[in-house]
Amino acid sequence: MTTTPPYPAHGSGLSPRGLMLSEWIKLTSLRSTIWCYGIIVVINLGLSLLLALSFRSPGAGTTALNQGYWVQSATIGVAFSQLVIAVLGALVITGEYGTGMIRSTFAAVPKRLPALIAKAAVFGLTTLGISLVTLVGGALIAAPILNSAGLGPDLTDLRAWGAIVGGAGYLTLVGLISLFLGTIVRNSAAGISAALGLIFVAPIVLQIFAAVTRAAWAVNLLELLPSSAGARLYGYSETPVPGISGVIVLDPGQGLLVLVAWVLLFGIGASVLLTRRDA
Amino acid sequence: MIEATGLTKRYGTKTAVDDVTFSVRPGVVTGFLGPNGAGKSTTMRLAVGLDRPSSGTVTVNGKKYSDLKAPLREVGVLLDAKAVHTGRSAINHLRALAATHGIRRSRVDEVIGLTGLDSVARKRVRGFSLGMGQRLGIAAALLGDPATLILDEPVNGLDPEGVIWVRTLTRFLAGEGRTVFLSSHLMSEMAQTADHIIVLGRGRIIADAPVREIVALASGTAVLVRTPDAERLSALLAAPGVTVTQSEPQLLQVAGLSAPRIGELAASNGVVLHELSPQAGSLEDAYLALTKDDVEYHAGGVPR
Repeated sequence: MTTTPPYPAHGSGLSPRGLMLSEWIKLTSLRSTIWCYGIIVVINLGLSLLLALSFRSPGAGTTALNQGYWVQSATIGVAFSQLVIAVLGALVITGEYGTGMIRSTFAAVPKRLPALIAKAAVFGLTTLGISLVTLVGGALIAAPILNSAGLGPDLTDLRAWGAIVGGAGYLTLVGLISLFLGTIVRNSAAGISAALGLIFVAPIVLQIFAAVTRAAWAVNLLELLPSSAGARLYGYSETPVPGISGVIVLDPGQGLLVLVAWVLLFGIGASVLLTRRDA
Repeated sequence: MIEATGLTKRYGTKTAVDDVTFSVRPGVVTGFLGPNGAGKSTTMRLAVGLDRPSSGTVTVNGKKYSDLKAPLREVGVLLDAKAVHTGRSAINHLRALAATHGIRRSRVDEVIGLTGLDSVARKRVRGFSLGMGQRLGIAAALLGDPATLILDEPVNGLDPEGVIWVRTLTRFLAGEGRTVFLSSHLMSEMAQTADHIIVLGRGRIIADAPVREIVALASGTAVLVRTPDAERLSALLAAPGVTVTQSEPQLLQVAGLSAPRIGELAASNGVVLHELSPQAGSLEDAYLALTKDDVEYHAGGVPR
């Protein structure tokens, strides 16, 4: 049964582009977003500057050491800004559940999943963009400072750039893990706690456990946690870490794959619950 | 057109909506009346796919809400005024919703003007009064200029001017041929707004009829009789199924007998009558009569 209304229709109907635009308006019209991204810019650029200034030439530095100083200067902020991005990622969705906005969202997008995908895409791309700009910016701020300290880095080193871009990728994927965790728990406090627990607390617990029991599986599990896999992604080491039999050591590419697996795991869980539960 | 068939929603062991079947037709304002907790909001949430029915179906224009290609253009919904992120301004809230359907910015400005939100459109919703929140909810419902409107307690929190505005607006929209379905627990409001009423009590439909029929249902047969010979008349009227109450020395309230019959009885016995008036029931009386056994939360023991 179709009805032809005698009044003009507004809009073209649901479209991926419209959903992305909607999520962009939502993301950018909240103060929490502006605050969180602002803090990330300050942390990433500021810490790069401070760390680069703190390095002094010990005399005979090797190229590898210089590259290490440079990458470290550029990515030093990641350890702190991941905390901010985890909070923002959770808030992006739990803020909707907490205020009831989610009902307006689902009334407009009754299939729900397209709204979550658009939200993840917009938040992910925005986070990736800001992380890339600030980490590359940090690298460009650090390079001349290190140069004048006699620790001049090689700016054509693709592996170093890979680590710097990897830092931006890590922040994005952490944000997405947090967004999906927030979708699963639907509560700001619980979402933030779950994300920070996974990123900061789980590694510490496992580290203690591994140190006490010396169990290889605990060491391996530790290596597969998002924070450890991420550290491989944005870490810089000239030579591969010597292999110990039975102990997993990820290379940057594998670190990325492990992180993507975490995102998919929580993303699928969030999608299933989102479409099944009452809003 | 909204059609529910055997619609049931259970939360755990509690049945919020119990095998409800009804249809809401275009061109009239259909009121959804019932005490708090009767299942009105749940039924409306089921209609727009926010909750999944335990059994039964509900369709809008013959389709499941979630299958609509452009839901905001077909159905405008106000579920509660709090379905808004309080950290966002009213205009950005509407822009975000409009964007999902490619609705132009000019239409956003239009609904802001229509709902009288111009002066607060750029303020964050956190500081809104309940009434302003309702207006924003109604603005959101009107965004896509939909042929069907589902409004849950639209006058809740509005000032008298706002109440009249909603009444005029809903009647106007129904007059244009749209389907208007609005809920309320205020029967007096319904009496003035709705053409057709569905009464819900404890998740079940108690009545589904035009307003005047609902009123007639409970008008009963109460007749007010004023006579200087009240005691003799009440003795004459006494019969099974007839209740006579005396509130003043010369005033009787008679239930169970029609006014003409009382008049005949009085005339044939030579009783003088000063007044004989059938009491027209109000929707309020009808509602209370209909729902008295189905009220979920009784205040209990209030002497009247």
